[in-house]
Amino acid sequence: MKIVSLSGSSSYLPEQIIKNDFFGTSQKEVNKMFKGVEQRRHVTPDQTAASMIERAAKPLLAEMNLDPLTDIDILLTNVSVPDEPFLGCGAKVAHQIGSKPKWVIDIHNSGCISSVYMMDIARSLMIAQNLKTALICNVQNAAGQIFSQPQTRKKPQSAVPGDGCGILYLTTSEESPILALVHRCYGEYASDMFSSNDENRKYFDTRTSEVSLEFTEAKIASIISRGNRIVPEIIQEVCKTAEMRTSAIDGLFTNQPNPFFLRNWREAVEVPAEKHFDTFSQYGNLFGAAIPINFDEAVRGNKIKNGSKLVFAGFSHAGDYSAAALIHWKKEL
Amino acid sequence: MEQIVDFKKIKEIPGLLRIETNPKDEIQGVLLDYTHSVYKHEEIYGKYCTIQDYVDCPPEKAYEYLKNTYSLEEWTFSVRDFKKTNTEGLYVGKDKIGDRTKIYCKTIANPEAMTVDYHCAWDQGQKLWMIYLMRIIPAEPVLNRPGCVVLWTNCHHPFYDKNPEPGLAPPGRPWIGEFWDMFYAGHWIELQNLKRILEYRHKNKLPIGPNLLTKEDQNEDC
Repeated sequence: MKIVSLSGSSSYLPEQIIKNDFFGTSQKEVNKMFKGVEQRRHVTPDQTAASMIERAAKPLLAEMNLDPLTDIDILLTNVSVPDEPFLGCGAKVAHQIGSKPKWVIDIHNSGCISSVYMMDIARSLMIAQNLKTALICNVQNAAGQIFSQPQTRKKPQSAVPGDGCGILYLTTSEESPILALVHRCYGEYASDMFSSNDENRKYFDTRTSEVSLEFTEAKIASIISRGNRIVPEIIQEVCKTAEMRTSAIDGLFTNQPNPFFLRNWREAVEVPAEKHFDTFSQYGNLFGAAIPINFDEAVRGNKIKNGSKLVFAGFSHAGDYSAAALIHWKKEL
Repeated sequence: MEQIVDFKKIKEIPGLLRIETNPKDEIQGVLLDYTHSVYKHEEIYGKYCTIQDYVDCPPEKAYEYLKNTYSLEEWTFSVRDFKKTNTEGLYVGKDKIGDRTKIYCKTIANPEAMTVDYHCAWDQGQKLWMIYLMRIIPAEPVLNRPGCVVLWTNCHHPFYDKNPEPGLAPPGRPWIGEFWDMFYAGHWIELQNLKRILEYRHKNKLPIGPNLLTKEDQNEDC
């Protein structure tokens, strides 16, 4: 079977830095569950998802000396708040970076774990259709758009999200092989997160109240407990396919909803904090962009040694998807 | 007369692990298999929620305090306003975690075993299925120190998963079973309340409580 490798990464963080005093509730009064973010980035109103991907992709193309016309066979995107209904941003991205991919796929599921889900899609296509390269793009842009609205930003949870874009570049090569990929869909949890507004209107209806994202209140306890459960489970599973103990993981990259999940996940798979790379305090909850951004920062910070076994893992929304990837990183610092 | 155990009868029961049929070397592997460095929350607290802690207060005083149903208003997070019902020993109060939820409670205590079991239910008092099982153990023989150890178990009754009487619930109120996954954390907070109350009153030589007022004494501050 063809080997697919993780060959590169890039990220873009919006320039606008938002401090805690922007939010209605003072951090002293905030529930423990929503603490721990010192600052986060917000997109500005003129920033589109495609422009964020362009900002992250162009330096990567230059750095790896790639020709966008021939070196991107597959372009995959996931955007937390699409700029337009109906339209994905992939086609615009392709045009803006001067690429003509054979496949452009905009996925609108698997949220916080969509980078790994898209790696799985890309790898399957690359193997099945003999394609050589894939650019995987994650945009989180809900913080500066939904959570910064005048009323919504007063809610304690609004200080947690932060915006950013992360990119992963895959090739059919033996550079840094993806050893295993697994994903799960739990349809029974799919209705526990939803958008809402005070008038109980559809999100596109005329109304005066703001849209916000909510979890089914009565299920908060079980959402937390399923998050504690399904992420370690999928990490165990991906390691098992490579006959590796989770304690042998050299670098763990997860989504970062709050510090409790981060702590519980690494405790459950016996990975020490220094091998679990997060950026929660400086960037907040980056949703689907967390894994590629955290990976990119770790690579650029020379924190990943040649030969490391890396795991990317997490879950989305209220637990509707979980996924994990195991990568044998083989690049010199 | 001296008695001995007839092992023939025990051999009839399949699946037992005993040294006669399972040598020590073999059992070591089984023990290792059962011994993990971490356990899932679900494995430990899924079917039963058992917690325990040491309390620096004589066991008799702790027992006296726990067996009084009104004490629940002091050490639990949200059970309040108990009143006697027409049924002997049955109280009705409010569980403020469920907004306007009524909680029924009958306390069954055994002074010799020092067990105090709170038989409770939300919304109705006919079938008391939420049972909080407490046992007080003198710390002297088990820990070689004064004071006591309090054990507390809840079993995951099927009604936690499905309210048997949904018609009695106030509109929009979440069901108690939705919080089962938080029982460890919630009960731990309450056990720490209990420990603080008992240790404070014992240390300061105060009546162990609960501190009760008669109707006429009641004021808005409570």
